[in-house]
Amino acid sequence: MAANSWPEQTKLINTRIPRLDGIAKASGKAKYPSDERPEGTLFGVILYSPHPHAKIKSIDTTVAEKMAGVKAIEVIAGPGKFVRYHGDDIAIVAAESEEQALDAVRAIKVDYELLPHAATEEQAMAKNAPEVVRGGNVRKGRAQTTGKPDEALQKADAVIEAAYSVPVVTHVCLETHGLTARWDDKNHITAWASTQAVTATANELAESNEIPVSNVTVLTEVMGGGFGSKFGADIWGTTAARLSKKVGGRPVKIFLDRIQEHLAGGNRPSASAKIKLAGNKDGKITGMIAETHGTGGVARGAQFPLPYVYSIPNFKREHSDVFVNGGNARAMRAPGHPEGCIIMESAIDDLAAKLGIDPLEIRKANLAPGDFRTKIYLDEIAIGADLIGWKQNYKPRGTQKGIIRRGFGLALHQWGGGGANDKQVSCTISSDGTIELKSATQDIGTGIRTVLAIIAAEVFGLKPTDIKSNIGNSTFPPGQSSGGSTTTPSMSPPCYNACLEARDELFKKIAPGLRGTPPVTDLSLADGQLLVKGQPVMSFKDACRKIGMNPISTLGKSSPGLASNGVGGVQFVDVTVDMETGVVKLNKIVAVQDSGLIIDKMTWESQVYGGVIGGLNYGMFEERVVDPISGRMLNPDMELYQLAGASDIPEIIVHAYEPPEQKQRGVIGIGEPPTIGTAAAIGNAVSNAIGVRVTHWPMTPMNVLNALAAQEGKA
Amino acid sequence: MRDNASSSNSGNRRDFLRGSGVAAATAVFTQTAQVGMDEAAAEALAAQGVAVQSGSMKITLQVNGQSMVSEVEPRSTLLDVLRHRLDVTGPKRVCDRSSCGACTILLNGQSIYSCTTLAVAAQGKEIRTLESFDTGPKSVAHAFHQNDGLMCGYCTPGFVTACQALLEKNPNPTLEEVKKGLDGNICRCGTYVGVVQAALDAAKAIKV
Repeated sequence: MAANSWPEQTKLINTRIPRLDGIAKASGKAKYPSDERPEGTLFGVILYSPHPHAKIKSIDTTVAEKMAGVKAIEVIAGPGKFVRYHGDDIAIVAAESEEQALDAVRAIKVDYELLPHAATEEQAMAKNAPEVVRGGNVRKGRAQTTGKPDEALQKADAVIEAAYSVPVVTHVCLETHGLTARWDDKNHITAWASTQAVTATANELAESNEIPVSNVTVLTEVMGGGFGSKFGADIWGTTAARLSKKVGGRPVKIFLDRIQEHLAGGNRPSASAKIKLAGNKDGKITGMIAETHGTGGVARGAQFPLPYVYSIPNFKREHSDVFVNGGNARAMRAPGHPEGCIIMESAIDDLAAKLGIDPLEIRKANLAPGDFRTKIYLDEIAIGADLIGWKQNYKPRGTQKGIIRRGFGLALHQWGGGGANDKQVSCTISSDGTIELKSATQDIGTGIRTVLAIIAAEVFGLKPTDIKSNIGNSTFPPGQSSGGSTTTPSMSPPCYNACLEARDELFKKIAPGLRGTPPVTDLSLADGQLLVKGQPVMSFKDACRKIGMNPISTLGKSSPGLASNGVGGVQFVDVTVDMETGVVKLNKIVAVQDSGLIIDKMTWESQVYGGVIGGLNYGMFEERVVDPISGRMLNPDMELYQLAGASDIPEIIVHAYEPPEQKQRGVIGIGEPPTIGTAAAIGNAVSNAIGVRVTHWPMTPMNVLNALAAQEGKA
Repeated sequence: MRDNASSSNSGNRRDFLRGSGVAAATAVFTQTAQVGMDEAAAEALAAQGVAVQSGSMKITLQVNGQSMVSEVEPRSTLLDVLRHRLDVTGPKRVCDRSSCGACTILLNGQSIYSCTTLAVAAQGKEIRTLESFDTGPKSVAHAFHQNDGLMCGYCTPGFVTACQALLEKNPNPTLEEVKKGLDGNICRCGTYVGVVQAALDAAKAIKV
């Protein structure tokens, strides 16, 4: 029987358990896909476009083909094809060494017909702009209208009119996109892939090579970060397989270099908004009119949620996707939400300042009545306010004096998430006492391997380290792709059911052979022992010996009641700003987060810290800088593309909001929510400190000084 | 200037300078340099007493107490030789430009970025990667594990190595010294809170 709730009393679930692969990772012994070098491996190096827009007139690989070590070349963009952004793929060379492949890439002669480009939004939206795609660079979506926004704005006590924007940022996965593909024989491919989706990657390799997917094995034992950008084999992976075939099956390893990773490995779209927000003295927001746009490069995908979190009775919104000659956007941790949160939370803060209302109170006044999140938000705001010291510390915007000023801000966020109900986990108990779980999901650093082991250990009365938690193999039972905070809620229920069924099967098999032939209902497992009527009778291992030659094997499926979706979350930020230099120093961040039943509090906490730090980067440092003249990205590195280091991290307080009713909701994912609100809250804290809105993210000295200059009319 | 590496010329391979010219050569032959130096310039430098090497050559590296022989090119970085030729894959290639620290190793006890160190320049020196570090209860690795100072784990080798180097030099670091000691490393998952605590815990544990 499948379970419909989690046990009320648990020994392991909802405690702090270090991850199973922690020592392997911290000792350098964990083998990442990019560490694998199966015998005979050739190295693939990619030739990518140095131009933002060009037609390939001709491509000559003859010299390259004859160079030392070169085994095969695949042309991706041949004569007549277009490259549409700096970093677009042209050809890939496979050679004995990476150095040789690099030399051959340099020896490929490409004759480009350079075409005019529109690499920035400004260029793309200008009159007579070169067309990035046919049909125009600006795609207006249908306007959404609710109520009577124009009338609401006329009647309101106060209206703010503002523009906010946040630039394109890139995922910066530390392990770049890529895989090593090998034709094992004429019909089988094995690939070691850095992916968030072993199943999708296997499907793509099978389809592009015209073999059944059952003949493809994709392995991802561990992987070095994806953040939403690694959901398939990509052109690089499918080409690696083609090259491998060309050279008689030798493995071909293709991982992007850091530059192309920035250019073509995905990005989070920009977002800009012209917004009018109206409200009354009682703090109620009455209306909003917003024009928004953003760019996802040569692809769509710059849409984001707005209005966000708050209940606004009258609103009108028009959104346009702008196409530019830039690498295409991919889902990035909580796609759309950080952008929507920045726009909404800035506007509501500016309205509060104009109305002379405490930012905390205006938020409380505009939560959706009747929504299940409203009570959660109210509780979380109270907890967070306490932890940041809002009452003692908060001063209204514009009341601060001096060169060094302190400010406080907050932001609310939400995420849907939730699990898929069609995933499976197998559980095998062998007569030597081994318990093995299998599923074709993968651990992208979130800790799902450990979560599954904790659930199994809970059921079998063992330690998580006793469980073989085997994932990262596309031939295992269907598992969830790791995205959208869906992995844990998708995988925990089938894992729990598989283990319960295996345990029941074990009891059924061994009960008749036990002294006094007790009914199975008298059996239980705890602390590595088999118990009859609560009394230990033998070790778990000895009990397993009694099952005989054939192992017990079950396939668990999902069942209702074990997982849920939909979370809120509130973050508070405390900053100090130097009015002369524009330098922002973060003092403290508080994150209060709900997420149902937490399986492993340790990895959960890491996810929240990580989400906050991701948001901190978005709020303080990150920006893809594109040169309008050359159309090239100027900072495709990890020096000028800035990310926080240890000294940039302030005190961070993570508070898990988990009253009993949260635990009863079952499992909900946690990857996305805590990264959403941070950048918005940082912006609000900075504005609170300096008395003026910084309209463009991130909160760099330049953007802060520009905002101060604009206020003085010097912009 | 050492002369233990032979200088075999294999046609089109770009020339390389080493010996007393290592520092200058490193500056010239980073991977960003567009093309190799032309022959005239190489000859001019050779006349100044700088050896010219090209092609591929056999070198011996002392890695984690073992002698490892590898066929490398003069331009091959230490990181790439470790990872691509010797399967010492603990150190990771991330930025490939000395910005992020994922490739950190210990060279004669100093923590260095192996992505911008030439393999030929590491001959005769003691190379230690984190695979050789203790992983027991009083180790840096253990402290990272217990504090969950890692998520995807791809930056972790660099952080563990930087931490090891810091503690070997300064067994009693303050919080600020730990942060400063790890500022040459970048984590994208955002594990800094656990990492810093791990460093402090490891310092305490190692002393006991």
